[in-house]
Amino acid sequence: MAKVEIISPVTGTVWKVERAVGDKVQEGDVIMILESMKMEIPVEAEEAGVITEIKVEPGVSVEEDQVLCVIES
Amino acid sequence: MSASPIESPAQSDTDDRLKELQFRRSEALKMGGADAIERQHQAGRLTVRERLDALVDAGSFKEIGSLAGTGKYDDHNRVVSVTPAPYVAGLAKIDGRSVAIGGEDFTVRGGTTFGSARRKGGQGGFVEDLAYHYRIPLINLIDGAGGSVTSIKRRGHSVFPGVHGFERSVELLGRVPVASAVLGTAAGGPAGRAILSHFSVMVRGTSQIFAAGPPVVKRSLGQVIDKDKLGGSSIAVDKSGAIHNVAASEQDAFDQIRRFLSFMPANVWELPPVVAGNDPVDRCDERLARIVPEKRTQAYNMHRLVRMVVDEGSDFEIQPSFGKSVITMLARLNGRPVGVIANNPMVYGGAMDAAAARKQIHFMELCDTFHIPLVFFVDVPGFMVGLKAEEEGTLREGMRAVYVAGQLTVPTVTLVIRKCYGMAGMATCNKNDIDLKLAWPTAEWGSLPVEGGVAAAYRREIMAAADPAAKEREIEAELKPYASPFRTAEAFAVEEIIDPRETRPILCEFIELAQHRLGHGVGMKTRSGVQP
Repeated sequence: MAKVEIISPVTGTVWKVERAVGDKVQEGDVIMILESMKMEIPVEAEEAGVITEIKVEPGVSVEEDQVLCVIES
Repeated sequence: MSASPIESPAQSDTDDRLKELQFRRSEALKMGGADAIERQHQAGRLTVRERLDALVDAGSFKEIGSLAGTGKYDDHNRVVSVTPAPYVAGLAKIDGRSVAIGGEDFTVRGGTTFGSARRKGGQGGFVEDLAYHYRIPLINLIDGAGGSVTSIKRRGHSVFPGVHGFERSVELLGRVPVASAVLGTAAGGPAGRAILSHFSVMVRGTSQIFAAGPPVVKRSLGQVIDKDKLGGSSIAVDKSGAIHNVAASEQDAFDQIRRFLSFMPANVWELPPVVAGNDPVDRCDERLARIVPEKRTQAYNMHRLVRMVVDEGSDFEIQPSFGKSVITMLARLNGRPVGVIANNPMVYGGAMDAAAARKQIHFMELCDTFHIPLVFFVDVPGFMVGLKAEEEGTLREGMRAVYVAGQLTVPTVTLVIRKCYGMAGMATCNKNDIDLKLAWPTAEWGSLPVEGGVAAAYRREIMAAADPAAKEREIEAELKPYASPFRTAEAFAVEEIIDPRETRPILCEFIELAQHRLGHGVGMKTRSGVQP
């Protein structure tokens, strides 16, 4: 069991959160979508596992390299 | 010693010398002594000899200069002990290929220079001469803070900067691959030495690098800052790009250096090593057909896209945490080394900022120098815009990327995945080559996108309309069909539009063709002119 922190690649806002804490995800599954520079940026699971923490909600601003959620793989 | 009466005095003298050689060798292996080695381990670091063992092929290290050091003698001029030189160097093999390798021994006086007749390592050191004259890669294991003011007293004068200069380090960059691992706190000369490398890596948590450390910063600026905050990997790798990659451990750093060298020729007069392909050339990944979202404002995972195309498991990313809007990775296509430069739509739509430009420039020069063909996976909307971008000199750095791309002579394939706009788009082509531009059907290009471009170009017409917003949309709709990549292909202004699923076989074929020419381009690349 390793903790994998998923960080934001950009400064922007959280547009949609598509998955919830407790969800099982596969590598590449979209967990949430950010909006930055008029682009939709999918935030994907870097490894398969269970989402144990989601640290943001729709509408909030996020900074580059901010931790968005945590997966136990 | 035998006291046999038939033994000649000369024989006895030889035995003594052999014994002395053994003794001196054993002294060298003690490094700075048990206490100093213990301190090195407690700091979470290996000794230089452990590092050499962990990095090179087992048993391949042949030390040169093992006896250099400072001897202590008794009243009869017999050697009592030798403190070894604070630098260990020699020849070794990596994957069976020769390299020159050396590193500071931090357990001996903190790896500072010592008063030998000839420098063993660092800039202008013997290890650089080994790499230079035998035309083999150089590996620097850096763990030292450079010059010490104590040398003033020893010499009786201070030395002018450059007496032990970087000339040889500079020459090496055009001749043989140079890889450096920063494995301790590096300042001054060793820090500079690390930068003059084709590939550099440092260990998170146990290594730092800066022009000057916390004591000097405090004296000069009054800033109090600890060494990790000043020059740990989160600054030196992620923020400044001074060092290319971060490693989780020393072993990881060594693995990365081995990986890097696996793509490199021994020198610029040779071609990069081709290995047997591990992945079918005709593998057509179905997922490629749908990987680019229909909605043009939706990002997708370019890392994954590239990995679906190149030989499985062959990708090695350089600078993954710096200038992230462009991805630079070494990889293989049917066993042949290629340099992949891919824009990353996940990071500001793939817009090229100053950091991304610097990263791309280094990578292009690296691949050009060592005859590694380039493949561009293009999705770039242009240079990054805005005040911050202008302050960072994006325009100048971006044009420098265009300039360096304009000097490439290595075979290059440009594959447009989605957007290719403006001057940043020009940095994805090699006009000295056949300038082959392939595109997926999802591609679009121009000097700027129709959206946004209309507002500027048709400003008067739009402002004069009863409903300006509607007029803008109307003009956009009118122009949009002309942006179809097929119209450009009709004009043969892009050479071919390919089915995304066929990307791998097509790229493999062009990279194989490139081999015919690579052999003609070997040798040193001269780059004349003044970079903007």
